[in-house]
Amino acid sequence: MVNFKNKREERDCTSEDNSLYFTYSGKSNVLEVKELNYQINTASQIPWYENLAQMRMPWTWKSDPHSHLSVIQNLNLKVRSGQMLAIIGSTAGGKTSLLDVITCRDHGGKIKSGQVMINNKPSTPQLVRKCIAHVRQDDRLLPHLTVRETLLFVAKLRLPKFFSDSQRKKRVEDVIAELRLRQCANTRVGNEYLRGVSGGERRRVSIGVQLLWNPGILILDEPTSGLDSFTAHNLVITLSRLARGNRLVLLSLHQPRSDIFQLFDLVLLMTSGLTVYCGTARDMVQYFTDLGYPCPKYSNPADFYVDLTSIDKQTAEKEMESRQRANALANLFVEKVKHFDDSLWKATEGDNAETTVIKNSEEVLNMPHHSSDQLPGALKQFTILLSRQVSNDFRDLSTLLIRGFEALLMSLLIGFLYYGHEKNGLSIRDTTALLYMIGALIPFTIILDVIAKCHSERAMLYHDLEGGMYSVSPYFFAKILGELPEHCIFVIIYGVPIYWLANLVPEPVHFLLNFLLLWLAVYSARAMALWVAALLPTLQLSAFLGNVLFTSFYLSGGFVISLNSLWTVPFWVSKISFLRWNFQGMMQVQFTDTTYEMTEGNFTFQIPGKLAMDLDSHPLYVTYIVLAAVIFSFLLLYYLSLRFIKQKSAQDW
Amino acid sequence: MSGTEKSGMEGEGKAVRQLPDSISVQGVSYTVRERVGPWWKFSLYCKKWTRQILKDVSFHIESGQIMGILGNSGSGKTTLLDAISGRLAHKGNFFGEVYVNGRQLKREQFRDCFSYVPQNDTLLSFLTIQESLTYTALLTLKKRSNNSIKKKVDAVMAELSLSHIADKIIGSRNVVGISGGERRRVSVAAQLLQDPKVMLLDEPTTGLDCLTANQLVLLLSKLAHRDRIVILTIHQPRSELFKLFDKIAIMSFGEMVFCGNPMEMITFFGDCGYSCPEQSNPFDFYVDLTSVDTRSKEHELKTYSRVQEFVSAYRNSEIFSKVLAAIEKTKRMKELPPIPLKNKDSPNGFYQMLILLRRATRNLSRDKIGIVMRLLQNLLFGLFIAFFLLRLSNDMTHGAVQDRVGLVYQCVSAPPYTGMLNAVALFPPLRAISDQENKDGLYKKWQMLVAYIVHFLPFSVISVGIFSAFIYWTTGLYPDASRFGVFFAVVLASHMIGELLTLVMLGMVQDPHIVQSAVVLLNSAGVIGGTGLVRTIEEMPTPFKLLSFLTFQKYSSEVLIVNEFYGLDFTCGGANSSTAGKPACIFTQGIQFIEENFPGALSRFTLDFLILYAFIPGLVIVAILSSILREIITDRR
Repeated sequence: MVNFKNKREERDCTSEDNSLYFTYSGKSNVLEVKELNYQINTASQIPWYENLAQMRMPWTWKSDPHSHLSVIQNLNLKVRSGQMLAIIGSTAGGKTSLLDVITCRDHGGKIKSGQVMINNKPSTPQLVRKCIAHVRQDDRLLPHLTVRETLLFVAKLRLPKFFSDSQRKKRVEDVIAELRLRQCANTRVGNEYLRGVSGGERRRVSIGVQLLWNPGILILDEPTSGLDSFTAHNLVITLSRLARGNRLVLLSLHQPRSDIFQLFDLVLLMTSGLTVYCGTARDMVQYFTDLGYPCPKYSNPADFYVDLTSIDKQTAEKEMESRQRANALANLFVEKVKHFDDSLWKATEGDNAETTVIKNSEEVLNMPHHSSDQLPGALKQFTILLSRQVSNDFRDLSTLLIRGFEALLMSLLIGFLYYGHEKNGLSIRDTTALLYMIGALIPFTIILDVIAKCHSERAMLYHDLEGGMYSVSPYFFAKILGELPEHCIFVIIYGVPIYWLANLVPEPVHFLLNFLLLWLAVYSARAMALWVAALLPTLQLSAFLGNVLFTSFYLSGGFVISLNSLWTVPFWVSKISFLRWNFQGMMQVQFTDTTYEMTEGNFTFQIPGKLAMDLDSHPLYVTYIVLAAVIFSFLLLYYLSLRFIKQKSAQDW
Repeated sequence: MSGTEKSGMEGEGKAVRQLPDSISVQGVSYTVRERVGPWWKFSLYCKKWTRQILKDVSFHIESGQIMGILGNSGSGKTTLLDAISGRLAHKGNFFGEVYVNGRQLKREQFRDCFSYVPQNDTLLSFLTIQESLTYTALLTLKKRSNNSIKKKVDAVMAELSLSHIADKIIGSRNVVGISGGERRRVSVAAQLLQDPKVMLLDEPTTGLDCLTANQLVLLLSKLAHRDRIVILTIHQPRSELFKLFDKIAIMSFGEMVFCGNPMEMITFFGDCGYSCPEQSNPFDFYVDLTSVDTRSKEHELKTYSRVQEFVSAYRNSEIFSKVLAAIEKTKRMKELPPIPLKNKDSPNGFYQMLILLRRATRNLSRDKIGIVMRLLQNLLFGLFIAFFLLRLSNDMTHGAVQDRVGLVYQCVSAPPYTGMLNAVALFPPLRAISDQENKDGLYKKWQMLVAYIVHFLPFSVISVGIFSAFIYWTTGLYPDASRFGVFFAVVLASHMIGELLTLVMLGMVQDPHIVQSAVVLLNSAGVIGGTGLVRTIEEMPTPFKLLSFLTFQKYSSEVLIVNEFYGLDFTCGGANSSTAGKPACIFTQGIQFIEENFPGALSRFTLDFLILYAFIPGLVIVAILSSILREIITDRR
């Protein structure tokens, strides 16, 4: 008894923390899994680009007979609101697969038999979207927003229409209080490169994002991985408190520490798809002791029993032995729970009454649950997403400064190289080269930057879209509009000094025409990069395709290779090359009204620039129209890619 | 209590037979000066405060024992290991003494005495376990015959139970190979080759699943019991490991809260009024008990004062006074035993480089996709150009000059770029290994660099050979074998210069991405400013004119232009048409183009060529110097 003295002390000292700020007020939920058998095809889980990298041909991908793997066998389970179920087991035990089945996000798997019921209805993606919140293993948050802003943006997007602004704010404050995030509410979230809140706090923000819309069922995949023991403990305390607020909490854990284990209501112990134990946590030790496996003194029961049931693959004999033991235990368990209706093991009957539901009087938002929970309309979503993107991007001062500096450096370098205020300005040859360089240098860096940024946000986008937080169109418009201010600033930083240093035609009209061309050309590069980033699943592939496209446009731009000598295919490529149109347009702007002195022998004669460059093919406005059309088609392709290609991130596999 | 006496007795018993090696750490403290705020909060940034990372830490350990250092993140575990092994960054703030067998170590003795296994394994991914260990053995043990080296490797593999997978490839993130636990064991095995008496391991179990982690610690304790000292830091050990350790140290906020054997630990905390509940992991329980909760001010004060209670209780305890007595005793011994050094008779520098070269070649030769990519990437680029260009014509109205200049421009700017891609992809893993093995005192960093440079020579020659042969004859450059030779030589030089330039940068800058963008920027600046293809050099402002002499592109482009245009005749439109009406037809002979745009280039041809090739040894020397400089800087710290 002395042993528990300090435990009690600890409880006492945290008792002021135990109050519930925010409970779930919808009707209570039941999650039931019946006789579930689930198979995955490991071959189909390898993405196509990795197969190609291994030089395997498409027709051999799916034919491997050993790839079908049964990951869950004959699983029964029933959990109610107010309970917290922990799924434990060693790696490859089927924990993540089970959560995937429940949330209807199967990755190449197939339910062989049995079903998952939520409130006695079979689970469908729509139903899951409505009442299950799924917190993933890795945190997907925008790094430059503070904790409060992150939650506020989600509140604006995720809460039904009828919430007023003050109600939304209150909800955010409630969640912050519930998750004990007050100290860091105004700190940036951060990521691996940017210092922000701590790992445990970030994990709690991820939970908060899901908690905001007040779901009845909360599912967490390995919430404590990567946290130190102390933070992990606090997190599980939070979760158990949430469960007591009439929620259903389901979490998977690798190997919980003893103090965490004591917090669970229910435990499901799995090994390679078999259920070895499923029932109340405090009866687990007794159950196994009765079977002849007592837990030794001074050891963690969770560790001990996970090891006992896990498959040891070191040698063939050990593997056989451990597999037999696991099978025997699983069979025993099926025998034992045959006569319990919910297939949970308990020492005594009638425990359910104990999990009382705590009603909080403070809770006034008695929201009607499934009826009118319409999310905000597309226009509203658009404005919210736009302001979210702009505030995230403009906090990132260091990146902005680096980019700006890069643009300025390039601009000054080229500007001084082609310094044109001396004697008689630049020769035709140098002016031509300069005009081409202006258009061709900056897009390359911009393409790489945009692709990298899109890929870093891709995972978040995927989960937001899958979770139904917003739809594609508002995101698309917010994205392209949100990029505009940054784009304008960089084009100004880049374009203006060059023009002045190289002393190109100084009239304002010429300058403006030139600047507009540059603006359009760089924006085409940006649109192309957006499309490429949305089209392909990994950063490397996107960067490669971007590179190939850019080099094609570059070579067919009319400077490196003469347009007259191009054969059919490059000729057509050059028709859509924004670099070519930009180059041609700039030449027209510069040379139409200037005359050049040519010296041949003793003669000096003046020829109009127009004639010198052979530029009469198209009127100037055609250039602008073509560039706008190129931008439009890239944006259209971008939209279609967003719409029809799953934005699954490469890290997800 | 009885446990202590027993182990004490055992220690004395051993001492009679043979003096055990020992490490004593006495009163070690370490502080760093940190800036208070981030750089944008200027007033805070200017202020500095002193953070105490280690505070008066003492312990004593003898051979045959394994010690685990526990603690939450930020408690100073790793710093303590660094302090023992003499790898601390700023020595100035380090107080206290580390004795090995009662002697203080000299600076250069540290790395010869301790084996340090860092947290992440740096292994070459395409070697088998046996090869990997054999190469390490060859690098360290020269005077042995091949046979005895093989025996040594076999013995070490047997000791770490790696024999059954000796011929498996190590693998990496993208290549299937051995498991994480096996990799960790290979890292330990590589250290064991030198027969160290003291092994330090930083978080060896992190990232391993628990079964593997247990097996690893079990193995380490076996190693320790064969008359070695093993000290490891460990994060969240499992309860089964509790009995395996001979000594357990708990760190909290830089202080050693407790250090003693497991039974002492249970009694000690029991006496303080906190006994471990039966069904919980004592490691977790005690670590939690001694950690400081920073969630709120009150919690922090409360938990901190609890930690202080433990610290003072420990300092007054019998266990601690025994430690102090043991330290005094070893120091006072009449005849101090010699410092146990690792086996070390490394071969001479040239032989080491040969081994490094063999190792790097063996490793890269297994990477099939890598080799194919390396050989064909230049060709890939050539295909691209050829696709757009098809065939050069001599007709001025069909871009005879423009296309040739464009082609030369591409041949000057692309090969350095592909060379950069090679170096950025292949050198960083080798660099990580050379950093690691340099810390172990195996060889110098520049030796690895030279081995890498030697190894890429044949690849460059073949790859550029394929590219040149393809592009030269398909596009129809000047059809002459000796001119082709010059073309090939120039492209080869630019390719190698690009790779060497990247190596120079990689010697100075850690992050390969930054190196990549820097080299790309340097390359484009060089092409624009140096070649004269896109900007007439005579008309540039003077400082740029001078700078252009430093760019290798100036020389390579001049050589290529002369090589192509000298002796070339152009036509204009159809036959016999007059040149007057067409402004494009300003040249009829290639030599006119040269004289117009590159005056004097013809006479400089040989000189340009020689200067271009002088860049290669120049950059090799700079790269070696930069890696030597890096070694000196990292050593200082």
